[in-house]
Amino acid sequence: METVVRMGEAMASHTPADVLACIGLGSCIGLALVDRSKGVAALAHVMLPASAVPDPPQPHKFADLAVPALIDLALAHGAQHRRLEAALVGGAAMFQLGGSGQDIGARNTAAVTRLLEQARVPVRATAIGGSNGRTVRIHVGADMTITVRQAGGREQRLLGGRADTEPKAVFA
Amino acid sequence: MTAFTDLQLDALRELANIGSGNAGTALGSMLGKTVDISVPTAAVLPLADAIAVAGRPDELRHGIVVPVVGDMEAIVLLLFPDADARTLCGIYGIEPSTPDGRSMLGEVGNILGTNYINVLGQMVSMTLEPRPPQVVEDMLGAILESVLLGRGEDVDHALILDSSLMVEGEQCSLSFLLLPNHGGVRQLLEQLGL
Repeated sequence: METVVRMGEAMASHTPADVLACIGLGSCIGLALVDRSKGVAALAHVMLPASAVPDPPQPHKFADLAVPALIDLALAHGAQHRRLEAALVGGAAMFQLGGSGQDIGARNTAAVTRLLEQARVPVRATAIGGSNGRTVRIHVGADMTITVRQAGGREQRLLGGRADTEPKAVFA
Repeated sequence: MTAFTDLQLDALRELANIGSGNAGTALGSMLGKTVDISVPTAAVLPLADAIAVAGRPDELRHGIVVPVVGDMEAIVLLLFPDADARTLCGIYGIEPSTPDGRSMLGEVGNILGTNYINVLGQMVSMTLEPRPPQVVEDMLGAILESVLLGRGEDVDHALILDSSLMVEGEQCSLSFLLLPNHGGVRQLLEQLGL
């Protein structure tokens, strides 16, 4: 079953054949965490770098709260912290609107990356930046696969599936 | 910050109605066609729902953004489904996904946005100035979230004033959205004495 993770939401699954998806990411980040040995996946749709208040209603909106919360969610579904791997998709700059939103995609990317470093979760693959929107899907299962697609394009494998251990970037 | 009364929403809807009517007339003059305008909707929606209302997030759209500055900040966003962009550009014998096509869509955005903003500014006694249009072709969800979060503000809800214009005889529809920033909505309502 495909579950769409909308803006500010997060989902996790350890059920084989489940699909978690963030559809139409622009400046937002689709943050995927997987424990491939346990078959656990978690996905958050992160909107902004940092929360202005300590306890907002939707913590997954903000990178500073979403990263630790998503790790906890993955662990609650049976993942092991030291086996977690991350993939980042989105963070595009589609428009130049000026003001504090300038480069919001880049600031989202920087915030998520920094928090993953602090939590010692390695980033294995990215499809970030540029000016195009993207869709990310995690196909949950034994050969946990993360795919990314741009408008009018085909679904491309970003991580998993056949054995791949090297970090890589798709049209970054 | 999310609560608007029915009276306030009616007033905002009426502003959108007059603004888009004026803009549609201007587009009709440019194209030499009759342009029909649907009754606009005014809704305050959580961001995720605002995207769902506009269509499936992975649907391809030609998006034209006209930033508005001055006494109030806002964004005018036009969304064409691909088939409708082809029909519109086809009036001039060009394809939408080309430099000429993007230029034409930008000009349509410019005419609609400028006329909409001018009449809106007159009604509420504000100086509003449209900036040059930016044209993209991408997934609906990506366009909307980039615009709604484009100022880097934490917004829970978006006020969407949606009109649909139909270019008669050409079966060409487009969504026309005015997205004021949060302070801007309050300013609009204050100018109207609401």
